[in-house]
Amino acid sequence: MPPLIEARDLTKRYGKHVALDRATFTVETGRIVGLIGPNGAGKTSALRAVLGLTAYEGQLRVLGREPFRERAALMDEACFIADVAVLPSWLRVDNAIDFVAGVHPRFRRDRAQELLAKTQITGNRRMRELSKGMKTQVHLALTMAVDAKLLVLDEPTLGLDILSRSAFYDALVNDYMDATRTILITTHQVEEVENLLTDVLFIDKGRIVLASSLEDIATRYAAVAVAADALGAARAEKPFHERRMLGKVVLYFENPNLPALERLGEVHTPSVADLFVAKLSRGAE
Amino acid sequence: MNVAIWLVRREFWENRAIWVIPAALSILLILASLFGGYQVVGAVDLATVRSVVEAGAFDGMIFISATFYLIMAIYSTWYLLDCLYADRKDRSILFWKSMPISDTATVVGKLGLGLIVMPLVYFVFADLTTLLMAFIISVRARTSIGSSLWRGDLWLQIQAMWLYLIVTSAVWFLPLSGWLLLVSAWAKRAVILWAILPPLALMLAERVFLGTYVVARLLGARIGGYLSHAFIYSAGPANWVTTQVGHESTIEAPVSVSRFFNAEYFFASPETWIGAAVGVVLIAGAVQLRMRRTEI
Repeated sequence: MPPLIEARDLTKRYGKHVALDRATFTVETGRIVGLIGPNGAGKTSALRAVLGLTAYEGQLRVLGREPFRERAALMDEACFIADVAVLPSWLRVDNAIDFVAGVHPRFRRDRAQELLAKTQITGNRRMRELSKGMKTQVHLALTMAVDAKLLVLDEPTLGLDILSRSAFYDALVNDYMDATRTILITTHQVEEVENLLTDVLFIDKGRIVLASSLEDIATRYAAVAVAADALGAARAEKPFHERRMLGKVVLYFENPNLPALERLGEVHTPSVADLFVAKLSRGAE
Repeated sequence: MNVAIWLVRREFWENRAIWVIPAALSILLILASLFGGYQVVGAVDLATVRSVVEAGAFDGMIFISATFYLIMAIYSTWYLLDCLYADRKDRSILFWKSMPISDTATVVGKLGLGLIVMPLVYFVFADLTTLLMAFIISVRARTSIGSSLWRGDLWLQIQAMWLYLIVTSAVWFLPLSGWLLLVSAWAKRAVILWAILPPLALMLAERVFLGTYVVARLLGARIGGYLSHAFIYSAGPANWVTTQVGHESTIEAPVSVSRFFNAEYFFASPETWIGAAVGVVLIAGAVQLRMRRTEI
């Protein structure tokens, strides 16, 4: 079976600015993939290309389709939330359900209503009357009621308070995700999604700098915190990044020599957030 | 087909003015017919009064229809200019684009709304209004004339006129509609200026550098040429509404409207189809822009 998303040399230019620079990556079915990068790294451009919202250079196949040319057909099987604040302000909640039910062959009205029944939101409310958290609930209900193979989320929790955020991700993992679905999510707040991801794609300056499952990260990367006197010995193992904290230095290693590291201090798998910082700072050095 | 119905519904939710404006106009006119004063001046006998009032009623129907149509034309122009811009401005385009609806369907749907659905809505309101007014005025006039003023043949002519008007003006003004949609899909701000200034600049540049007026003439012919193409102009459409009281109180009966339709000439004119072809090109351009421009 071919990958759900296959991008080769995906490039997007805005005038002279290169937002995506020959990015190559794949996403397999059943994964929750985090597309992680600093602001301006090309995350949104990559997602827009995947969703057919923008023209691009290079090769891109999503669910076997060419997104830009076949966006409408692609949206039968893929759905997305690009910022939750985009539901039109004049739209009533019940009309939104009617509309999606009318135009989307894979939308299950009862599912949407079931999800909305759990909230305080009534059908006669207009989007402009709802708080940002409530809009998120509506958008999520509409989206999760679509029996889609791919769900793409672009900074889905931007501007939400911490309760709404955690509710958002809980609903996603508990009520939506199963083996037939795939989620691609971008965020610059890595900590927030770290626990739900199965794979990460690090993107920087329009290029993919790391593509890995979380299991592979555990075997490929190690971090060890050492006291200042052991620093020299630790550096001999060729860390790719160092970080000073509270009198100790944390060193990050790729393909580590574990027995050697274990003699220096306590070895642990770096968190996605730490690895992200370590990986991307390397480029800056 | 199903999608088309939902696209239209969605426009009605968003643009309530589509039916609020004609509804308000209807209410205003009905109130006027309920409480307005009227008198027939210079009538000699009852038969004359009847024909004057009947002729007047026909003038009134034409006048009411024209009022509805003109207001519709203004609103429809604004709608076509705003529709693709509005959802980019508030970013709701990202929601609409998450639906399995092609950009062609979206753009053509909005075009159809502005050119066909909206005129039909106004047509229905104009019709209901004239019917109600005719009824009210008949009842009020009964004391002086004695029987109903209703003339079904005149009313049927108004129906024919509306339908002919909707079809021919949609075809004739397709290039202008296409231009409005193109601007709406393209402009980052100030859609009105972008709609007006480029043609104006083109005219000016042509005048300054070439000393000719081709663009201005083409535009003028398009805007001003509708009546002369769609109707038999020699008689002058103004003749519809002038009921003359001739010598010795003879009344010239209202003329037949359909006599002035010039469908054969309209649909055989190269101008009609060249314009329509330009319109199709502009609309295709609007679709391409819609595919590429998601946000402002």
